[in-house]
Amino acid sequence: MRLIARYAKDKGEFFEIVTLYDEEMQKEQVSKENPTIKTLAYEHPAALWFERKMQDDFGIIVEDAFDKRPLVHQEQFPANIYPMRKDFTKKELDFSTFKPYDYEVINGDGVFQVSVGPIHAGIIEPGHFHFSQAGERMLHQEVRHFYTYRGIEKMVEGKTLTQAKPIIERISGNESIAYQICLRDIMVQSSGEKLGASLQKHHALLLELERIIHHLTDLGFIPNDAGFGAALAFGSKLAEDARRMMQKLTGHRFGFGAIDFDAISFDMLALKEWLDKIEADINYFEDWITDIPSVWDRLDTTGALTIQKALKYDTVGVMARASGVAIDRRLNPFYLERGFVMASQVSGDVAARFKLRMAEVKNSILLMRNFLQKKIATQKLSKLQDGEYMSFCESSIGELFMAIDIKDGVIERFYSRDASFMNWQVLHVMMLKDIIADFPLINKSCDLSYAGNDL
Amino acid sequence: MIKFWQKRAELGILTEDVAVEEELKAIQKEIKEQVKKKFAGSLAIRMVDSGSCNACEAECNALSNPYYDLERLGIYFVASPRHADVMLLSGVMTFNMTPHALEAYEQIPEPKWVITLGDCPVMQAPFEQTFAIKAPAENHLKVTHHIAGCPPTPLEIIKGLLEFLRKI
Repeated sequence: MRLIARYAKDKGEFFEIVTLYDEEMQKEQVSKENPTIKTLAYEHPAALWFERKMQDDFGIIVEDAFDKRPLVHQEQFPANIYPMRKDFTKKELDFSTFKPYDYEVINGDGVFQVSVGPIHAGIIEPGHFHFSQAGERMLHQEVRHFYTYRGIEKMVEGKTLTQAKPIIERISGNESIAYQICLRDIMVQSSGEKLGASLQKHHALLLELERIIHHLTDLGFIPNDAGFGAALAFGSKLAEDARRMMQKLTGHRFGFGAIDFDAISFDMLALKEWLDKIEADINYFEDWITDIPSVWDRLDTTGALTIQKALKYDTVGVMARASGVAIDRRLNPFYLERGFVMASQVSGDVAARFKLRMAEVKNSILLMRNFLQKKIATQKLSKLQDGEYMSFCESSIGELFMAIDIKDGVIERFYSRDASFMNWQVLHVMMLKDIIADFPLINKSCDLSYAGNDL
Repeated sequence: MIKFWQKRAELGILTEDVAVEEELKAIQKEIKEQVKKKFAGSLAIRMVDSGSCNACEAECNALSNPYYDLERLGIYFVASPRHADVMLLSGVMTFNMTPHALEAYEQIPEPKWVITLGDCPVMQAPFEQTFAIKAPAENHLKVTHHIAGCPPTPLEIIKGLLEFLRKI
């Protein structure tokens, strides 16, 4: 069974722990006086962050956990504050005294530590990586995040879905459309209706465009991190073109506010022409870069994730598919009937992820062509009903999971698990054969989200 | 490599080809002159994300693409705050990130300026105050200029930088 998510809810009298697998869902009640649970991290290593997050958010104690360090709460976070409990209502917290974080390190003769971040050399999001080094070789690495932790789960509580939408679509800028689609599905579910085929197609088209933008950016940045700057110039040009197309279709370069139930009109001809052009460009790009051996010398065998590890860590998305795991939320009749072919690679290295992105861009172009339609029908949802809802979407990184409980018309509990939350946890097993100079390349080839992970 | 040069000849110079570039063309001369006058020809920016959604970062990365190519105007992003003149701050200043952002500011040599980027650091974005947010940035830092937008487009960022250059 694949672990999808594990999270807690404050139900008033007790805490409810929800554990979601691909095949089943388990619910467990724990008392507030003695909130203890057993760890799943021995069978599913990726359960660790879920459990450490629960411990910080709710004060739930994982009795037999081998790692009880705080995850979300960092050095200066006040002790004994559990912000996701319903009785916590403070809007401001003061910095407390500095408590050092106990990093996972390997000690020994000549072994030294390298700390990277949270502020990185490039223009990227904040996160921390802690390496134990033997010369250039990486012996161990710990990923430590949650610097962009904005308390979004708490922020949206007490709001209607419509009020929360502008916040939810800004959880992760690169995956905004995917977050909006997850929210849309929950809205549709709670209204008890079915989504019209026309809107579904239009939204799927925007999701593929978002995927193209994200992949094109990476197709430029990955070779750039291997020292081949010309690819970045080319890739970023294509990504800018795609972003401008997003602006044309949605009125926003990132598609914020694009997924709703209203009709819009757009220039179909311009989109068709652009699709032809980008297809020619991407074919040229592939042909060109395949011929440059010095790039592949860096990409091949670097940062390899074996299928065994990918399965063990319940990896999802691009990283899983590049390691030979067949997992994609688009494996359903709606997509398959319209030409979706799941991209797959087996070597699991940087090169595999690079080739996989290339293949996905091409398939997304095909899908976008098949999603084109002359007229988009609108839909009006009836009143949203209270209840517990869940939805999934395949974002450009991987499977996105969202769960919302609605009570009295407003959000009682919001939870979303970005694909990055699973995949960050497997990063440290991928680089044991590589040198530290390869780390930026490996990290970029995965291109995980920090903001979506931290919430 | 021959394929690359063929394509290069085919494509021509992108920066002179697009509609928005008209606007850019009009201001680039002034930017260049201002940077030359006030920063001896090179303005070094340290971008710090204090809890944004990554859209502002994506737009800053877009500034280096062949359409905008900010470096030709003498403005470039540096890897260390110690090389910087300006801190470009995005994000809502989260509880966890605020101490690090302030530390980065400390590391910038005088004279230094802070520009806030996007609606987050001034709390104009849809995000609301929570226990984990320490924005607005002006509670912690002396902010010289603000570039509004969610996120501001690359062109708006360039215009904002020009306004900043005029201000100081």
